[in-house]
Formats: sequence, structure tokens, C-alpha cells
Amino acid sequence: MHIVVCMKQIIDPEIPSGEFKVDFEARRAVQDQGEPVLNPYDENAIEVALQLKDRDKDIKVTALTVGGESSQKVLRRALAMGCDEAIWLKDPAFETLDSAATAAVIAKAVRRAGNVDMILCGRQAGDWDMGQVGTLLAEELQIACIPMAYHVEQKGGGFRVKRETESGMAVLEVGLPVLLNITNSSTNQPRFPSVKGVLMAGRKQIPTFSAGDLAIDAEIPKRVVVEALTLPRYDRQVMFIDGEDGPEKAAALAAHLIKMNLLK
Amino acid sequence: MPGILVYASVSCDAVSMPTREILGMARAIAAKTGEPVSAALLGAGVSSLPRSLIESGADSVYVCDHDKLGEFQVNIYLKVLTDIVAAVNPRILLFPGEAAAVELAPRLAHRLKSGLVTDCVGFDVREDAVVFTKPVYGSKALAQMRIAGPTALATVRLRTQEPFGPDPNRTGEVVAVQTALDDIQPETRTVERVEEEIFECALEDANVVVSGGRGLKDPESFQQLRELAALLNGAMGATRVAVDQGMAPPSCQIGLTGKIVAPEVYFAVGISGASQHIAGMSGSKYIVAINSDPEAPIFSISNVGVVEDYRNVLPTLIAELRKALAR
Repeated sequence: MHIVVCMKQIIDPEIPSGEFKVDFEARRAVQDQGEPVLNPYDENAIEVALQLKDRDKDIKVTALTVGGESSQKVLRRALAMGCDEAIWLKDPAFETLDSAATAAVIAKAVRRAGNVDMILCGRQAGDWDMGQVGTLLAEELQIACIPMAYHVEQKGGGFRVKRETESGMAVLEVGLPVLLNITNSSTNQPRFPSVKGVLMAGRKQIPTFSAGDLAIDAEIPKRVVVEALTLPRYDRQVMFIDGEDGPEKAAALAAHLIKMNLLK
Repeated sequence: MPGILVYASVSCDAVSMPTREILGMARAIAAKTGEPVSAALLGAGVSSLPRSLIESGADSVYVCDHDKLGEFQVNIYLKVLTDIVAAVNPRILLFPGEAAAVELAPRLAHRLKSGLVTDCVGFDVREDAVVFTKPVYGSKALAQMRIAGPTALATVRLRTQEPFGPDPNRTGEVVAVQTALDDIQPETRTVERVEEEIFECALEDANVVVSGGRGLKDPESFQQLRELAALLNGAMGATRVAVDQGMAPPSCQIGLTGKIVAPEVYFAVGISGASQHIAGMSGSKYIVAINSDPEAPIFSISNVGVVEDYRNVLPTLIAELRKALAR
């Protein structure tokens, strides 16, 4: 069985808003701020795949990413965590794709790889938060797609997927091939790469595929165009509660909330 | 005449509030463009609801009432919705930002060879197109996005749009949609469903939300938050980190990926204010932050702040409020 995990390298989402810099001309974040990271939901997706592999050594897990020179780092991290292979879709034309184009490019690579049984994607990337690539990829490949999944196990001949619902959770029985959009849960917190894993990952060859390799010759049209990027404004002014110690501040806060008539 | 189509969702046998919000948004666009507003209504036993959609702003309602639509199944809903879109041929297609719609919208966009803006919070009607506003980079920036394609699709964040009406004098047309559903089977089979115990009241509807984050040391601290929430007839929330650590159930998660709330009063306890979380609560009318770190970003969006370890604050706060409110 072959699982492909799709990943994206993003600008560190933990950069505080006060320090966050926007390239207004390019209509995106300034690219060289902070150390780029692997999208957190993609780490959850890798963990889900590796948990399946922990129980069945015959499962092969391939990490795949689309992006420029620096995205090699996220693939190395995925390998260090325990993925078997990596695929790097690397072409200058791939650097400014929208969700639909990204899905189309990944679909070509998945078809080229052949024999892919399960695809895992993080539910959304912590930069543009579009949350569409996984679902669009399933449409491209004409396979079933489960949103908000957080755990998978083999059961009999099939798979059982746990997913979040608006009011709790549900367990689904799915056949293959299938695509799962993975959300975070206490059951899929990503493992840390082992020292051995890091060493092995460093030595591994990562095959790259360009637009030409994937037989993409025309320029890929955009379906969503970013017209402008602006910074939001918060106009609240915080009033700090004074006091000698916690209980005194607590009493003052209670009195303030009552005086403001905020609590009914 | 190009038009606007709204995907209607049903909650407790009535038109949902998020649907009424996007009907309000559709009417605001239509006020500038003069386009008709239609609604797509799918479900089992929903034939009494078109009237309510018309009162809330729809000029026409395309309704498919079928046993197979009783439970949401994405491929079956998609088939019906595709038929309705073909009949209406809308220029703009709006979805409420709820789980089912978020699943439907990208798949429909793909079939229409068009684009989708998710989690849209605002819009601007230009001469040739509608431009949608969407928070990006964890709400640290706002993007204005335009769709290049025949239909502009958008999912709309809850509680960002004013609902329209209801106006009992409005009239409209109801069209019955006949999609053949006899042969279609669900893509997946649900074998088990667990509804989480909902404490006090539903998070999204609560007037008061008491939330905890990374700063809370243990699940017992969340019991204190729950106690404060119960005292104020409110609900308890949590950040993504607190959920990941197993301190609070996933249904409590507030943030960009989680629930979006906008209560009268929001208590942020031990919450630093990561943008992911702020995206889910910045619409709150009054924000109270309790955090031992005076530099925590949460203070920059709060109305009132207490710089203190929450453990030294909560017991007295609960006792004082209990006394003052005589509960």
C-alpha cells in the first residue's frame, strides 16, 4: 500500500502581528522573515500516515511538496520523521500557483507515480488558509474525499476514518483510493525526528519533477486573483486593572464588569 | 440577467442564521447590481421553508425535497446542487461557512471550472466583478480576491454579515427541482456517530464565552473556566494548543480552524493571542484578558486586562461575581 502526504512550506505562523511584514507590491508576505516551517496540519497528516505504517511495515509513505528551492527542507523533515520517499515538484512556474493549479499539478504527479492508494493533506495551510487543495485534488483524481479526518485504522479489508463533525465525531468506513483532509487532534501530534532519522534523511536522494517532466506546457491559468493585500486595524485600547495581588485585581475586575453592566 | 445564488442550510428544522446572513450579503450586492437573488434548498421534509427564505431576502427558491437528502452526503448533495446551478447560471454563488458547505464549495468550483474564496469576511462591488475580502496569514493581513472564471464562489465566515429582514411582505417564486436520485449511493458509510456533551449552551450562541489556552496548567483549570461560564450562563472555549494537549474537547476549539464566536463578553484566560485564535474571537463585543505576561499579544485586542497568574484571579473572580449577581 502506498500513501502520499502532500505538504507545504509556509512562513512561520507564530510570527506576532506586530512583527509581520507584507510585500504590498507582490501582494504576499515578505518571504525572508523568520525561519519557514512545515505547515502544522501537514505535520498532523504525516503523523497519521506514520501511525498506519507503525502497524503495517509494508505501507510506503511518500512526502510530496510543490515549491521553490527552500522547500527541500520540509521534505527532509518528513523523511526524518519516518517517511520512506519524497517527491519534489520544482519549477519556477510552480511558485505562484493558486489552489486549483496546485491541485492540478499534484494530480499529474500522483498519476505519474501510479498505484497511490491514499492521499493525506493538511486541512489548510497556515499562510493563505484557502483549505481547498486536498478537495480539489480529489476532484481532479475523481476519488472520494473525507474532510476533518484525524485518525485512520485498518479494519478487516478496509479502513476506518475518524472525523470531526460540527457537534462531535463520526467514524466512516472508506474504500481505496481515498483522500483525507487532516485536522489536528490529541491523537495525531507529530513525532519528533530521531537522530538516526535525521542522518538517513540527509543522505536520501529526492527526485524532482519540473513542469516539463509532468507534461505541463502551457501557463497554468489562475482562478483566484489577489488584487491587494492590506493590514487589518484593531482600534481597541486596553485598560489594565490595578491591584496589590491576584485576589485584589480579581475583585476589581468583578466590580468593573458589574459596573459596565456587561453580565446579565 | 446574471444572478446571485445562495446555498441555504437548515438548522433545527428552520432556515439557519448563517443562511440568513449570506442572504443579507446577497441583498447588499443586489442593491448595487440589481441582480435577482435565488436560494438553493436541499433536504428531506423542507417544503415549508421556502417562504422563510423569501422573507429573508430570496427572490426565488429552488427546492429539492427528497428522502435521500435527509442526512448530508456530499456526492448526493453535489448532484442536486449541480442541477440547480445549471438552471440558475449564477454569476455569484455564496455558501455559509459551515462544515457541509465548506465541503461542497471546492468540489462545485472544480466542476464549474471556476474559483472559490473561502472564509470571506467582506466584499466590494466593482464595475466588472465582486471582490471578496479574506483574512490571510492567520488574520495578520487581509487579501482582496477576485475570481477569474464564469462563477464567483465564496464561503462566508459566520457572524460577519448582517441578516436581511425577515420581511413578511416579500414575495417570490418557488421552483421544485427534480433530480433523479434513485441510483446514487453515498461515497462513504458512517458506522458510528458520537455527539459531544454540550455544556450549558452552544458555543456559537453564547452571550458569554470563557476560554483557556496554553497558559492553563491542567484539565482541572478548565473546570474553573466551566464554573465561571456556567455562572454567567455562557459557554467554555479553548485554543488549538489546549485541545491538542487534550485539556479540552475539540468541539470547544475557537479560532481560524475551529469555531468563530462573537459574544457580548469574551474571557481569554492564559491565552497569549496567537493570530489563529484571534481570528475566531476578535468580533467579540468586549474582551477580558487574564495573562501573567504583560507583553502577550492578546492585550492589544482586549478592552480590559489583568496581568496576573490566572490561578490567583479565578477563585476570587468567581466568588465576587456570584455574590454580585446573587447566583
